[in-house]
Amino acid sequence: MSFWKRKKNKNRSNKGSIGVPHQFLEKHKNEQITGNLEDTLAIIQKLLGASDDMVTRRFHVFKEYAAALVYCSSLVDHTLINMDVMKPLMSTPPKGGHWNENRLKEVIKDETLYHSDLRLEIDLAKIVHAIHCGETIIFIEGIKDAFVVGTRKIEKRAIDQPGTEQVIRGPREGFIEQIGTNLSLLRYRLQTADFRIKMMEVGRVTKSKVAICYIEGIANPKLVEEVKDRIGAIDMDVVLDVGYIEQFIEDNHLSPFPQIQNTERPDKTVAQLVEGRVAILADGSPFALIVPTVFHQFYQTPEDYAQRFLVASAIRIIRLISLFFSLITSSLYVAIISFNPELIPTQFAVAVAGGRAGVPFPAVVEVFVMEVSMEILREATVRLPQQVGGALSIVGVLVIGQAAVSAGFVSPITVVVIALTTIGSFATPAYNAAIALRLLRFPIIILAGIFGLYGVMVGIILIINHMLSLRSYGVPYMSPIVPGNYQGMKDIVIRAPLWWMKKRPASLHTANRERLGDDVMQKLKQPPSNTLDPVDVGNRKEDSPDGDTT
Amino acid sequence: METPREITVLQAAIILISTIIGVGVLALPRIAVLSGDTGAPLVTLLGILLAFFGLVMITLLGMRFPNQSLIRYSEVILGKPMARFGSIVIIAFFAVLTALASREFGEVVITSVLRRTPLEITVIVMLLLAAITTRNDITTFAYIHHFYSPIILAPVILIVILSLKNAEVIRLLPIWGNEPNGMFIGVLTVAALFQGFFILTMIIPSMRRPDRAMTASIWGMTIAGGLYLIIVIASLAVFGAEEVKLLLWPTLELAKTTSLPANILERLDAAFLAVWVTAVFTTLFSSYFLMIHATTELFQLRNHRMFSLFFLPFVFIIAMVPDNVLQMYELIEIVGRFGLLITVVYPTILWVVALIRKKRGKNHATRTNR
Amino acid sequence: MQLARIVKVLCWVLLVIPLLTGCWDRLEIEERAVVLAIAIDEANPEAAEEENDVSHLRGEVPRSQKRMLRLTAQIAVPGRIPLGPAQGGGGSGEKPVWILDVVGHTVEDAIYNLQQEVADRLFLGHLRVIVVNERVARKGLQNMNDALRRNPEVRRAAWMVISKGEASEVVKLNPELERVPALYLLAVLDGAVKQGKMPNAFLGAFWSALTSKGQEAYLPYVEISKKRSILLSGLAYFRGDKLVGTTTPLEIGHFMAMKGINPGGYSALSDVPGQPGAVLFVSSDRTAKIDVNIKNGLPQVKAKVHIEGDLAEKSNAQFDLKDPKTITNIEKAMGTKAGKAFEELIHKTQKQGSDILGIGEIVRGKHSAYWNKSIQTKGKWQETYKEIPVKVDVTISIRRVGMKAQ
Repeated sequence: MSFWKRKKNKNRSNKGSIGVPHQFLEKHKNEQITGNLEDTLAIIQKLLGASDDMVTRRFHVFKEYAAALVYCSSLVDHTLINMDVMKPLMSTPPKGGHWNENRLKEVIKDETLYHSDLRLEIDLAKIVHAIHCGETIIFIEGIKDAFVVGTRKIEKRAIDQPGTEQVIRGPREGFIEQIGTNLSLLRYRLQTADFRIKMMEVGRVTKSKVAICYIEGIANPKLVEEVKDRIGAIDMDVVLDVGYIEQFIEDNHLSPFPQIQNTERPDKTVAQLVEGRVAILADGSPFALIVPTVFHQFYQTPEDYAQRFLVASAIRIIRLISLFFSLITSSLYVAIISFNPELIPTQFAVAVAGGRAGVPFPAVVEVFVMEVSMEILREATVRLPQQVGGALSIVGVLVIGQAAVSAGFVSPITVVVIALTTIGSFATPAYNAAIALRLLRFPIIILAGIFGLYGVMVGIILIINHMLSLRSYGVPYMSPIVPGNYQGMKDIVIRAPLWWMKKRPASLHTANRERLGDDVMQKLKQPPSNTLDPVDVGNRKEDSPDGDTT
Repeated sequence: METPREITVLQAAIILISTIIGVGVLALPRIAVLSGDTGAPLVTLLGILLAFFGLVMITLLGMRFPNQSLIRYSEVILGKPMARFGSIVIIAFFAVLTALASREFGEVVITSVLRRTPLEITVIVMLLLAAITTRNDITTFAYIHHFYSPIILAPVILIVILSLKNAEVIRLLPIWGNEPNGMFIGVLTVAALFQGFFILTMIIPSMRRPDRAMTASIWGMTIAGGLYLIIVIASLAVFGAEEVKLLLWPTLELAKTTSLPANILERLDAAFLAVWVTAVFTTLFSSYFLMIHATTELFQLRNHRMFSLFFLPFVFIIAMVPDNVLQMYELIEIVGRFGLLITVVYPTILWVVALIRKKRGKNHATRTNR
Repeated sequence: MQLARIVKVLCWVLLVIPLLTGCWDRLEIEERAVVLAIAIDEANPEAAEEENDVSHLRGEVPRSQKRMLRLTAQIAVPGRIPLGPAQGGGGSGEKPVWILDVVGHTVEDAIYNLQQEVADRLFLGHLRVIVVNERVARKGLQNMNDALRRNPEVRRAAWMVISKGEASEVVKLNPELERVPALYLLAVLDGAVKQGKMPNAFLGAFWSALTSKGQEAYLPYVEISKKRSILLSGLAYFRGDKLVGTTTPLEIGHFMAMKGINPGGYSALSDVPGQPGAVLFVSSDRTAKIDVNIKNGLPQVKAKVHIEGDLAEKSNAQFDLKDPKTITNIEKAMGTKAGKAFEELIHKTQKQGSDILGIGEIVRGKHSAYWNKSIQTKGKWQETYKEIPVKVDVTISIRRVGMKAQ
């Protein structure tokens, strides 16, 4: 937290103090354009001339006034320019006749140009900036202002199933890189007037647009303020991914546990927003950040809520177990085999001893080496192209493992334990939390190798103590288990039926606590009406009301 | 010291429970049986009551002075010099208590599980763990106890239940014991095992509702005391009085005798010890925390962090004082009994004097209750 | 503060150093010599010559320890006891265990002598069976108990049995049913408990009974039957730590009946009154209640035992079991016989002053005033036990007769 206390007091001025290229525009800050077309074009081309994708198109407005169009061909929608800008401007003027400058400006602005995003601009720096944002500038001889038309179009990929968070049941939309599309995905799910979006610009060179989304009336206003402050304090040159922002606004930079969640799914984002959290999106990144985050969110998926509650609870319990397993199984193995073999049944103990008889290394070394190899293998398979990747994972696990056993390098039980651990770690839905737990495995293995079960316990105590002292924007990381909130507990180990979870999480201190209408429970308790029950509904077969069905 | 008021009544009770249940439980049945034979449960019960009396005193004092810890209000009641002296004695006593508890646990681990590891390492690891964790604030303190309490209670209850198949009720009779000679000393020694309750003096100033502190005390003592009682009863029923006298750590032997159904895991004592690490940790954490906070209050400083590592070497040296296990137990019994003066008699004196001199603490101002 | 930082760094360094110096207790499972069973016999004093000077110098033995013991240990060989299905006869017929024997003056002494010969460190955590020669037991088991109690590796759930002949023979026996002999022995004992043939007299129970003032200890008594299998031939009962007598197998059933230990497992062959022939009765459930009253300064014992069971076999077809009265007669006759047999058993133990039923505990618990005044010690109770009158009433209920109607 100390990082924050310091940052807040610093002056957020001097954006140009480190000599970044946009200083170029600073020189021309207060210049304006004149009505002289040639002069203006000369200035503009001097400023933009270096890039070859800047196009200048001269033409005549209403068949008589000289004009020019300036745009950046890689950023604009050419069809739009042709149909909505050039076509109306190059056709016969309405009502014919000459106008003076002001009248011409009005006619063009109010009656001619069809486009819905049009403004007038006089400031040179702003005009150049607009060109770089994909807008088209129209200069007309005699008119002092320039027309700025919004014609931005960027190639983007189709909305597809998010790569990192796949579900069986649930929407298959994922965020893409363009912030406009992402915000639309959110907007159509939250068609309420309370959903607010605040835009900020971060990054001196990239000038990325960052959107802070929250629901007014649910999210705590102090939280929104804090988020705005923290993001505003970021003074970096490049923000390529929302992860850069994450590293600046989290509470504890040294902890292996992530305190901010990231997701590619709009449905998950919307669910969190409704609970009272704040979402942060950045242009150029398909991930959304969600603050504040607590630990139990890392093994929940939105699919949990779309399924029926018994199934969802069972699956969640399995996930919890696998999370636990992935952390301690290998160290428990080391501890029991090397320190306390009396814990396992006698026959098994002797058999294990047999399996280990030919292996040259102590259990702790063996487990450690195998774990590191698994991590290497896993990292390698991420980089491999599709065709090779699938084959290698199977090869890696089965063949290499089997070969290692036959070579006498590892014992078969070690392979089984490592495999269980690895598979268990895949069951954690959140990638950042899964990595944290995977990495934490290693110190515990070392501790187990030194002190046995005692070491495992010491390691676990250290980790848990750390988690208990962690806070995310003030919310204790282990809520709701630790401050003991009953309502919150309904969503931890099991997933209580939707009609039980009546209130929003208390730890977020939302303005509005109620989630469910008052008489939902009553309506649910009434026995379902058997509408199509054959006895009640009556059956007619060829006009005879006997009720005979075939 | 300005600490935010965050601790609920439930958390206060849990802090009491997990502080009290610590390494003393392992040797408890032997101590109780040595003094009372089959009357050991009775001895335990009386010990619980004695400790409860001390706890009530502290709670009453805390409720009377809801904004201050013992160090502060003892100065108000008794005047600075005497109270300062009392506070120093308290700090010293808890330093010794922490040291002896870590030493006792170290001995248990070394003798039964890690036989070749040097004792110093085991003790240092526990003390370090406690010292590092003390650097957090009091809210995290409460969270830590809150989190670990089920981990502590569950195995004990499990082992007691599983061991009952070897229990014979006749071993619990007669209730008074056949030779009730040393019962009085036994009661004192058992009560000394509960001295962790003193942590409440540091907790009450940070409670949301100090007026409900008594509820927390009652619940905490009931559960902790109840647990101690059933352990004594279980050990007695499974082994018999004479046998318990021969076992150094009867609770551990109880875990050794149990096995999970279908023999999935046998010899559960290693697993039991591993889980017991958390219980010992919470106890050490509490007494260490108490020591540090008391010191911070005494010198009227703000930040208690600087003391956490500072005290470590001293506590460690004290832990290494006894030469062997038998000497250590002797020392524990003596220190424990002496400690009763501090934890039971001293608060009683304070309370009586406060009544006489009509001293009261400021009632805590209206705070927005959440 | 510069000083604070230096101190902090120093602390971290000091922290890490001990961790780097090594793991002291790490002992890989394949580096341990897992001792599965040990046998203790007497050895001749001349065997002292065979001993190496491991725990004392030759000729300088403590005066009190002239007696010699022979310890036979069964150590599991890692790698020869496969967990999966047996591959072709247990891997070329190699023995999965290694049997060694050494001599020593005391138990722990012998174990140290053994360690001197074995490469890996001996591990007693899986010690399941301890076989003790009857002669050694008669001389007293105090020393052995002490050694076993102090060792934290030994589990209280282990079995100690007394053997009729040489204990080492029991340990060396190689039965067909199990790959590992010690595990077979374990299976015999565990199986016997499950089938109701023996009370659960494991080591921990033995020790508890040993120290109780009003109870004496008992252990299973085994012998080798025709060199191929192990026969459970009774209970060995003790007075203090010395063995004083053994029972027959059926008497184990009597004992278990009086203590009400379930499940019932013994069967009795009995004449049918008024009919030519006999039936075999198999007990399935036992309940017992022992009442003790103090009369004339002596405890009087009245035991009520109720046994339920089935009829398993009729010895010939010359009579049938259709009539419920026949059943009732059988029940009555068996009950009287059983009562007498039970009392016989008690008299037998009374002769030696060995109260294995734990009557003394009942006196101590329920009549503590009497106990505190007159008895107080274990020795006194052993004497008093010899005198007390005991009466046993047995009722038998035959519930089922199997699948055959007559």
